[in-house]
Amino acid sequence: MVAGMLAVVLLPTASARAQHAAGPYFLTLHVAGGTGLVALGGGYRLAHERLEPELLVGYVPRRLSGGKALAIFTLKTTWLPWKVGLGAARWQTQPVTLGAMVNYTTGQQFFLTNNTAGRYRPGYYWWSSAVRLGLLAGTRLSYGRPGSARTAAYAELSTNDLHLVSALTNHSLRLPDILTLGGGLKQTLK
Amino acid sequence: MRLRGSGGILLLLLAGCQLVEFSPNQAYVPTRERSLTAQNLRRLEVQPADDTLRFVFVGDTQRFYDETEAFVASVNRQRAVDFVLVGGDISDFGLTREFRWVNQRLAALRVPYLTVIGNHDLVGNGSAVYQHIYGPLNYTFQYQQTRFICLDNNGREYGFGRQVPDVSWLRQQLADTAGTRRTIVVGHMPPTDEDFDPQLVPAYTAALRGCPQLVFHLAAHVHRFTAGQPFHDRVTYLTTYSLQKKRYHILTVWGQREFRLETVTYGAGN
Repeated sequence: MVAGMLAVVLLPTASARAQHAAGPYFLTLHVAGGTGLVALGGGYRLAHERLEPELLVGYVPRRLSGGKALAIFTLKTTWLPWKVGLGAARWQTQPVTLGAMVNYTTGQQFFLTNNTAGRYRPGYYWWSSAVRLGLLAGTRLSYGRPGSARTAAYAELSTNDLHLVSALTNHSLRLPDILTLGGGLKQTLK
Repeated sequence: MRLRGSGGILLLLLAGCQLVEFSPNQAYVPTRERSLTAQNLRRLEVQPADDTLRFVFVGDTQRFYDETEAFVASVNRQRAVDFVLVGGDISDFGLTREFRWVNQRLAALRVPYLTVIGNHDLVGNGSAVYQHIYGPLNYTFQYQQTRFICLDNNGREYGFGRQVPDVSWLRQQLADTAGTRRTIVVGHMPPTDEDFDPQLVPAYTAALRGCPQLVFHLAAHVHRFTAGQPFHDRVTYLTTYSLQKKRYHILTVWGQREFRLETVTYGAGN
């Protein structure tokens, strides 16, 4: 799936030719959500605009990282199961959005696996400190005249693999403890 | 960490809420959750002193949040405990939220708590996170005529290479005995462990041996109780339980180098 997402993001022209029914390109401005203070990117709508793979590049400034600034590269796919018109045709909502993401944080302090760090015996740490997997659920409101570019605002709650593992192994951690809020804007390109 | 302008204020409001996180590795936490070592030492300073030093020692709270709550309830029932010492591995993955979850629970202790950094706390951006939330990796404090030397001795996390522990800093602290009768050294790693920089074991143990007022060396990491003089030099090395074992130690210290070790079991079943 990740390879598929990569292909879609990196080879948009080819996939545009291959999939006539696919939707247009979009740009994303994303805030928080564990993918940086802000993240910029874009993607391509697939499957009758129900699937949105995208690539985001996030920035964590020094004052948040506590050391060098960090970059977070996120591959994310959002599934938009249904669309509801809001009276006026220009306004729409996609009340439920679901998604998954994988991201990589730059910095010498992070290892891909404990073997690549070169200082541990195999299995010393079972997780990657550089790569996080995430699940998300959100909602979206969009505006645009028929046949022209649309602007969407969205908000979503996500969690990551390590926060989830923590909650699954402790009764005293509740769902709100492991949720992270993010949101942003998506602008369709004509 | 100073924030300027309306953007800064907005950022502050957002980050104050745990729901808003810019990276699971961010060092940034709200002001009240920063510099906890200094905050706890200030509480300890104003705490009425008696004639006996008595403190709780436990290790490895890492991802044992349920157990941490039971631990706090048990310690709060103890009488005449001066403070709690956590022997490192506060977090499991070195993530910001883990440190906050642990502090949210340990903040319910009736007495102050102090920590040393563990190897798990150094994973990823953990070193920066620990320094924001707790403070310096190496520090000392005095209480009841006792000098506590708390240090980062997780050599493997730095790829060994004779960097950590900082033995020359340790020697200086051990030599400084002004106004104290006793010295206690605390680090996450026992020097007998394979994760302690093997090249620094001789210098580290020699430094401890050279301090006549040293009571003992405290460590965690191995998740079990051990006590002995592994270097046959009359220096006592103790290790304590992880929180998962539902046991902790209470150490009472008096005289020059006298001490008593009690084990407390808490919580029912598993």
